[in-house]
Order: sequence, then C-alpha cells, then structure tokens
Amino acid sequence: MELPDPVRQRLGNFSRTVFSDSSRTGPEYSEGPDNEMVSSLALQMSLYFNTYFFPLWWVSCIMMLYIKYSVLPDYYKFIVITVIILITLIEAIRLYLGYMGNLQEKVPELAGFWLLSLLLQLPLILFLLLNEGLINLPLEKAIHIIFTIFLTFQVVAAFLTLKKMVNQLAVRFHLQDFDRLSANRGDVGRMRSSIEEI
Amino acid sequence: MGRISGLVPSRFLTLLAHLVVVITLFWSRDSNILACLPLRFTPEEYGKQDTQLVVALSVTLGLFAVELAGFLSGVSMFNSTQSLISIGAHCSASVALSFFIFERWECTTYCVLPAVTEMALFVAVFGLKKKPF
Repeated sequence: MELPDPVRQRLGNFSRTVFSDSSRTGPEYSEGPDNEMVSSLALQMSLYFNTYFFPLWWVSCIMMLYIKYSVLPDYYKFIVITVIILITLIEAIRLYLGYMGNLQEKVPELAGFWLLSLLLQLPLILFLLLNEGLINLPLEKAIHIIFTIFLTFQVVAAFLTLKKMVNQLAVRFHLQDFDRLSANRGDVGRMRSSIEEI
Repeated sequence: MGRISGLVPSRFLTLLAHLVVVITLFWSRDSNILACLPLRFTPEEYGKQDTQLVVALSVTLGLFAVELAGFLSGVSMFNSTQSLISIGAHCSASVALSFFIFERWECTTYCVLPAVTEMALFVAVFGLKKKPF
C-alpha cells in the first residue's frame, strides 16, 4: 500500500524546500558516501514503543470517558468523542507512514508522518491534556502526558532524519551528474580516437 | 538472542504502567493522606504528611529515570535475566500501588514495596554496565 502519486509529489516538493541545506553550493566531501544508511534508530524505537503504547492509551481514555460521561456538559461530550475518533484514525495512518518512511528511507512518507504529528496530533492531544473543562482525571493526565512526550520526541527526531535524508538525496543527485559527465567524456574520447584513425 | 521475543515490549509496557500509576498517585494522593492522619488533624500535620509523600514520589520518579535511561540506551535492553527481574518487579509494584490507591492504605506502606523493587533494579542497571560484554 503506497501513498497516491500526486500526494507523494507534493510532499516531495515540500521536503525539498523545507529540509535541504540551501547555504551550500555543492556537495561537501565531509559527508558520508551516498550508500550510508539514513534511517534513524531513535525514531524507529519510539515508533515501535508508540505502537505498543497506543492500545493502553486508548483503553484508559475510553474507560475514563465512560466514568465521567454523565457529568460532562453536552457540547463537551460531542467534542471529546470526535477528538478521540480523530486521534485514533490519524494515529493508525501516522504510525504506518512512519514505519514505511523510516525503514525504507522514503522521503514523502516520512514528511507526511512529520506533518501529521506536528499539525494534527500535537494540537489534539494538547487540547485533551490542557483543557480545564474536560474534567481530566489523574489517570488521563498521566497517559496524555506520556503520549505528548512520545509525539514531541518523534517530531524532533523525524525532522533531523528528514534533513539527513534530503541532503543525502541531493548528494546522490550531484554525484549522478559526475557519472554522466565522465560517461560523456568517454564517448568524446572514443569519437576522437576514431577520427584520428581516419 | 535468536528470534525477537516479546520480552522487550512487555518490559516496556510494565515500566510504563508503573510510571502511569506513580504519576496518577501524584494527583490523587489526597485520600491516602487522609487515611494516615488521626481523626482530628491540624493543617500542619496534613502538610507534613503531604510533603513526605511528595518526596517519596519524587525519589521514585528519579529511580525511574535511571531505569528508563538504562533501558532506552540499550545497555540492559537485551539481557533476558534483567528483563525478567524488571518485569516481575514492576508488575508487583504496579499492582501494589494500585491497591494503595484503591484501598487507601496508610502512608508508610508506600515506601516499602516499590522502593525495594526500584533499588534492586537500580543496582542491576549499574551492575550491568560494569559487566564486560
């Protein structure tokens, strides 16, 4: 299962503008060779543990909601249920994209994961944690805090990994240029030697 | 270690469950403090017991930080013996703490069991670092 093509293209363009180092004119030779692995271990560990933590979070959240449901005002009932459904759906997509992007070093998937975490999940979970009117029970506070820590760590780690990945792609692209040039020179050399023969 | 067993995620989940119960205790320590005070108490006594419990909880969190650092940096993640000890200790500590909250045990009971398990794990994490691989 892959992201649809137009989405991949847009995410790829976005990554190139946000993550590449535009202050350099060419590839620096202090960078590793282009066959270096850029998947991030820290990000993968946090994704793995997040996958195991998510059911625990979900069960605790639903149980606490069941307990306090009758005391919540009407509008908060609707809002909390919507927010929990949204977080569940986005979490499933987000973790899948994170796994694909990090393990297979694919930039559009990882950029999608980064955007989903930063722009959708973080505000939703901060809303659940910090809103006073939701009568947060102590257990909810504890699990929301841990979830927020996971999300923050993943946002930072994914940003650094994306930077490395995009720069490595740029190095690979420039090295490709040199390969093409040396191939052309090989052709020109062959043409010259055949002309000399004539 | 040959195949990837379920030891690492179980250890992580029990660690996290224990951490969640400790954090929950921070906010719901009211009824526990009331249980260990005499029937008529003054605000100073309440404050004293409160401070004691908060200090004990903070020490627990500090020991947690050490164990988490050892686990997440990979030093002790793949050692089966340590993982088993850790899982057992944290399981019993989480159950004991949950009972502490639900049954409103007295304040002194808090310090005994979880602190003992944490000290054992603390020693194990540091002991492992000195072990040559």
